Amino acid sequence: MKDVPMTPAIEMKGITKYFASTQVRANEHVDFSVESGEVHALVGENGAGKTTLMNILYGLIKPDSGEIFIDSQKVQINHPDDAIRQGIGMVHQHFKLVPSFTVAQNILLGMEPSQAGFLNQQNENKLVDELARKFNLPVDPAARIWDLPVSMQQRVEILKVLERRAKILVLDEPTAVLTPQEVNELITVIRGLSKQGYTIIFITHKLIEVMSVADRVSVMRAGRMIGTKKVSETSIPELARMMVGREVLLRVKKKQVHPGEAVLDVRDISLSDVNGLAAISHVSFQVRKGEIVAIAGVSGNGQTELVEAISGMISLDGGEILFKGKSINEASVRERRELGMAHIPEDRMVVGLNLQTTLDENLIVSKYNRSEFSRYGFLLMQAISQFAEKVVKAFSIAAARPGEGIAMLSGGNLQKVVVGRELSGNPSFIIANQPTRGLDVGSIEFVHKTLVEERDKGAGVLLVSVELDEVMALSDRILVLYRGKIQGELETATATEEEVGILMAGGTLEDLKQYSEDKEQGENREVKS
Amino acid sequence: MEGFFSVFTVELLNSGIRLATPILLAALGGALCNQAGVLNLALESKMLLGAFVGILAAYYLGNSYGGLLVAMVAGGLLGLLFAFLYHKYRVDLVILAIAFNLIIVELTVFVMRAMFGNVGTWSDPSIARIPDIEIPFLKDIPFFGPLLSGYNIIVYFSWLATIVMFVVLYKMRSGRHLRAVGENKSAAETVGINAILLQTLALVISGALAALGGAFLSIGHLKLFTRNMSNGRGWIAIAAAMFGVNHPVGVFLASLFFGFADAFSVRIQNVTDLPPNLVKLLPNVATLLVLIIIGLRSKLALSMARRRFRAQLRAEEAALPGESST
Amino acid sequence: MKDGRFRKLLDAILVPLLAVLSGLVLMGILILFLRKPLFESYAVLFANGFGCREYGNCIFITALERATPIILTGLSAVVAFRSGMFSIGQEGQYLLGAAAAAWLGYAIHLPPILHALVIILAAMLVGAGYGWIPGVLKVKLGVNELLATIMLNSIAALIVEYLVQFPMRADTSAVAHSPVIDESAQLMSFLPGSKWGVGFVIAVIAVVVVYYYLWRTKPGYEQRMAGQSRKFALFGGIPSDNSAVRAMLISGALAGLAGAIEVMGVHRRIMTGFSVGLGFDGLTSAILGQVHPIGVFIVAILFSGLKLGAQIGLQLKLDIPRELGGTIIGFIVLFVAAGKFYEQSIVRARAWSTRRQGSNLKGDSG
Repeated sequence: MKDVPMTPAIEMKGITKYFASTQVRANEHVDFSVESGEVHALVGENGAGKTTLMNILYGLIKPDSGEIFIDSQKVQINHPDDAIRQGIGMVHQHFKLVPSFTVAQNILLGMEPSQAGFLNQQNENKLVDELARKFNLPVDPAARIWDLPVSMQQRVEILKVLERRAKILVLDEPTAVLTPQEVNELITVIRGLSKQGYTIIFITHKLIEVMSVADRVSVMRAGRMIGTKKVSETSIPELARMMVGREVLLRVKKKQVHPGEAVLDVRDISLSDVNGLAAISHVSFQVRKGEIVAIAGVSGNGQTELVEAISGMISLDGGEILFKGKSINEASVRERRELGMAHIPEDRMVVGLNLQTTLDENLIVSKYNRSEFSRYGFLLMQAISQFAEKVVKAFSIAAARPGEGIAMLSGGNLQKVVVGRELSGNPSFIIANQPTRGLDVGSIEFVHKTLVEERDKGAGVLLVSVELDEVMALSDRILVLYRGKIQGELETATATEEEVGILMAGGTLEDLKQYSEDKEQGENREVKS
Repeated sequence: MEGFFSVFTVELLNSGIRLATPILLAALGGALCNQAGVLNLALESKMLLGAFVGILAAYYLGNSYGGLLVAMVAGGLLGLLFAFLYHKYRVDLVILAIAFNLIIVELTVFVMRAMFGNVGTWSDPSIARIPDIEIPFLKDIPFFGPLLSGYNIIVYFSWLATIVMFVVLYKMRSGRHLRAVGENKSAAETVGINAILLQTLALVISGALAALGGAFLSIGHLKLFTRNMSNGRGWIAIAAAMFGVNHPVGVFLASLFFGFADAFSVRIQNVTDLPPNLVKLLPNVATLLVLIIIGLRSKLALSMARRRFRAQLRAEEAALPGESST
Repeated sequence: MKDGRFRKLLDAILVPLLAVLSGLVLMGILILFLRKPLFESYAVLFANGFGCREYGNCIFITALERATPIILTGLSAVVAFRSGMFSIGQEGQYLLGAAAAAWLGYAIHLPPILHALVIILAAMLVGAGYGWIPGVLKVKLGVNELLATIMLNSIAALIVEYLVQFPMRADTSAVAHSPVIDESAQLMSFLPGSKWGVGFVIAVIAVVVVYYYLWRTKPGYEQRMAGQSRKFALFGGIPSDNSAVRAMLISGALAGLAGAIEVMGVHRRIMTGFSVGLGFDGLTSAILGQVHPIGVFIVAILFSGLKLGAQIGLQLKLDIPRELGGTIIGFIVLFVAAGKFYEQSIVRARAWSTRRQGSNLKGDSG
C-alpha cells in the first residue's frame, strides 16, 4: 500500500445508466474512486452493474448522467480510443486475439513498427521480449495463440494492453477461465504490476481472490454502490453480506409437502468445456418427487453445462445420471423427454422457441411424434391447432393465436408459451433455468406460482437461478455451484442469505461461523465494558 | 505405353503454364478475398467482363496493352460494386455472386450483339494479339530456358502478382491487417483496423486480377470474344484457391496442377485411348479431398480437448483406492 | 385473423414484385438505348412468351415446357435451403440423373410405362446418392456444403462429359451424343409439335408433394425447424443430423428427376452441351420465389416465358439481342437480394404517409 497521499487515479461520480430495451437500471448514481497504484476489486452478483460501470469507463457505453475524472481532470470518454488515450486498458472476458498469429503479432496488432510498410519479425519479437521482461510476464513471442493455454493467452491480452501505454488496467472476471494454479500465477502478476505503479481494477464475484490480492474492494448490488472497504479491514462474510443482503420481496405460499423418492439422481458427473478445462467437476445430488431443488450461484460457474448434461444436449465425460432409477447417460434429448423430463431453457428466444415460425409449430417441438399429433408421418393440423388453443387459454397468453407467428409477443408471453408447452403433458421432472430472467413482476409471479403448483402435484423441479430472492422464495433445498463444484448444501427453511451469499462467493460455512462467533465475541465485549 | 510418355515434352509444360495463367490470376484474387474473410464466388463474372471489355478496348484504342489496362479497371469497378452492395445492403455473398455471374454472361453477349449485329462471336483483324516475349538471358539457360522464356506479358505478370501477394500478405503491415480481419474481425476492429476498407480493397483487386485473366483469354490467346468465353474457369479458380489453402504459393501450385491437367488431357487423346476428361478429374477430386481434410482437422481438434479431459478423469479414478466407478 | 395472413402474403411478395417491376423498367431503359420502340417491345415480349397466336397455338405452352426442369431444380434448392443446407449442387445432380436416364433408355428394354418408371426411379436414386455425399460430409466432417457442392458439380460435369464422349457414344458425328432412347422410355407429349407433356405434369405433382412434405409431414417439420434454428431443434429433441442428410437425399432426387425428364421428354438422348445451366436457373427461381414451392413454380414459368419472349419476339421480330431476357432476370435476382434497399424505401414511404396523415388530425401530439 502506498503511504503517500495520492489523488485518485480514477473518480466516477453520479454515474447513472438505464437500459430501455431490457428495462433495467444498470447503474444508479454510482460513485466509484480508485487510488493510483492500488489493486481495487469491483465485486457483485450478476446484474449488480459492475460490467456496465466498467464499460462506461472504457467508452463502450455512454452513461445517462455522471462524470469521470482521471487524475482529477474531467474527461469525456465516448469511445474506447478515448479511454486508451487516457491510459485505460481493458482485458475482456472473451479475448480478442487472432488464433493463427503469434504472440508478438497479436500484441503489436494495429501498431506494428514498419519500414515503408514492411514488417520485421525479429524486431517485433525483440520488442515483445523487452516488454515481457519489463513487466516480468514471460511469454514466447513466436508461439502461436492457438497452441497456448488460456492463461497464457490472457497474459498476451494483458501485455497487449500494457504495450498501448495503459496505466490503468481493467480486468473483467479474469479468473473465470483459469485453473486454481493459474489463478495464483495471475495474482502474482497483478501484485507485481501494482508494485510498479500500475492501477488495477478487477471485476469479480469470487471473494477469496479479492481477499488475497486486492487493496480495497467496492461492492455493488442492484445497480447501486453499497460501499468501499479496505481489504485489511473487512472479511469474506461481511463482503458477502454486502453483496447479497436484501429484503426478500417475494414469498410464495408453499404447502408442506413431503418429498418422495428420487426422480433425478446425479452421480459424480464431470464435463469439460471447449478448452478441456472442467466445467463441472464431480457433482452429485438428487431431486426428489414433490420438491424444488435450487442450484444457486453466479452465472458462469457451470450452470449452463450442468443443465445441458441433464437435458441430454451434451454427453457426459464422467459419472452417471439416473432418471427414475434408470441410467440415462446414453439417452437422447427426445428419449429423456419421453421419460417425463421437461426443460425451460435460459434463452427463450433462441433455444426455447423458434421465432421464425408459428405458435403451433413451437408448441409441438417435443411432442410431434405422439399419436395425437401425427399419424403415418403426417401432422394432424387440426389436433395441433386445438392444442395450441388450449394452451393459450390455460395460460392466458395474450396476443397469441393458433396459426400465427409469435415474434411480436412480449417477453412474459413468450415465456408463457415455453412454460405452457413444457408443462402440458404432466412432466415428472422440470428443469427451470433462469425462468424469470427479463420478465415483469406479473410474469415472474406467474412462473413462480406455476412451478410451485407442479411441485405440489408431485413433480421434481430443478431450479437454476442467479437471483437469490427466487432461490430463497421457491426452493426446498439449495445447492450452491461454484467453479463447477457443489460448494455447499442448505435447507431453505433454515438458511440465511448470508450463508447462501458466502457460498456463492467461494467462501465456506466455516468462514461464516467464524465471523458470527467473532461478531458475538465483539458484541459481548461491548456489553461487558 | 510408349505413346503415353511421348506427351511429356517441354511443349506440354509451356502449354500447361499458359493454361494455368487465367486460373492463377483469378485464384489469387479469390484467395485474397478469402483471407480477408469475404467469400468471392463472382470470379467468373469478373473474368468474363475482362475478356469482353479488354478486347473491345483493344479495338477502340488500337492498342492491346491498353485493352489490358482497361479490362483491369473494369474488373476493379465490378469488384467495387460487389463490395458496396455487400457492405451497404448486407446482400448474401452467394446470391450476390450468382446474380453477378448471370448478369455478366448475358450482358456481355447482349452488348456485343447490340454493337456488332447478330453474331455469335466477335473479332476484328486489326486487333493485335499480345505478343510472346523472349527474355535474352533466360532463354539460353539449359533445360529451364524454354520453360521460363517465351510467354506473353500477362503470364509474367501473374508470376509477379504471386510474389507480390506473398510479400504483401506475410511481410507487410496491410497484409497482416487483412489476414487479421479475415480471421477475427472484432479483434482487428478493436485495435482500430478498418475492416470494411480492407475487404473492399480485396474485392477490387480480385476483380482487376480476374479481369486480366479473362483478357488473357480474349486478347492474349484467341483474339476474339464469344459467349461464356471463360467457360467455368472462374469456378476452377475458386477450387484452386481452396486447394492452395489461400496461400499465394499454394494457389500458384494448385493453378499449375489444373493447367497441366488441362494441357495433358488435350494431348493425351492423340496418343492413347485414355479419356481426357478423367485426367481433368484429378485436380477437382484432389480439391474435394483437401476440403475433407480441413473438415477432419477441425473436428479432431475439438474432440482432442474433451478426450484429454476424459483421460484425466479416468486417471483420477484409477488413483482412488477402492472407489467403484458408477 | 384472415387479415393477418393476407398481410403476411403481401409482405412476402412485395419485395420480389418490386424487383420484377424494377427489372422491367431497366429493360425499358436498355431498349431505349438501342433506339427501339418501347411499348411495342413490351408487347412483343409478352405476346411471344405468354401469349397465344391463334387457337391451339400458344407459345405459353412452350414456356411451360421450358419451365419444367427449372421447377424441379428449384424445388431441389427449396428443400435443401429450408433444411439449413446451402447446397448449390443441383447442376451436378441434374447431369448425373440425365446420364442415368439416357443410358437406361437404350441399354435396357422394358414394356412402355414400366420402362419409364424404372428410369425415373433410377435417375432419382442417382441424384439422391450424389446429394447424399455433401450431406454426410457436412454432418460427419463439418465440410462446408457450399464449397463441396461447387466441387461436386465440376466433377459430375467431367464424368458426364466422359460418358457421352466414350462409353455412351452413339456414332462418330462431330457433336458426341448417346443413342436415342427407346420409345418405351420416352415421355409422351400432349400436343403434336410441342414437347410439353407428361414431364410438366410430373413437375406440378412435385410442387404439390414438396409443399405437403415440408409443411404437413413430420420429417418436413423436422427439416424446417432444424433449418431455421439448430439450437431449438437440439433442445426439442429433433434429430438434426438425420434431417440434414435426408434433405440432401430429397434435394438430389428432385434434381436427378429434372435431368431424367429433360432426356426422356425433350431431347430423347444426352449429348455434349446438354448442360445449359438449368441447375443454376432453378437456384435463382428458388431465391426469387422466396424459397417456397409455389413461388418456384410461378417464377420458373415467368423466367421461361421471359427468355422465350426475348428469344422469339425481341430477337426475331425487333432485332433486339435475346440476351436481354437473361440479363434482366439476373438484375431481378440482384434487386431481390438487395431487398433491404426496397425495405428502407417502403419504411420511409410509410413514415412519410403517416406523417401527412398526422398533420391532418388536429390536436395530435408529435
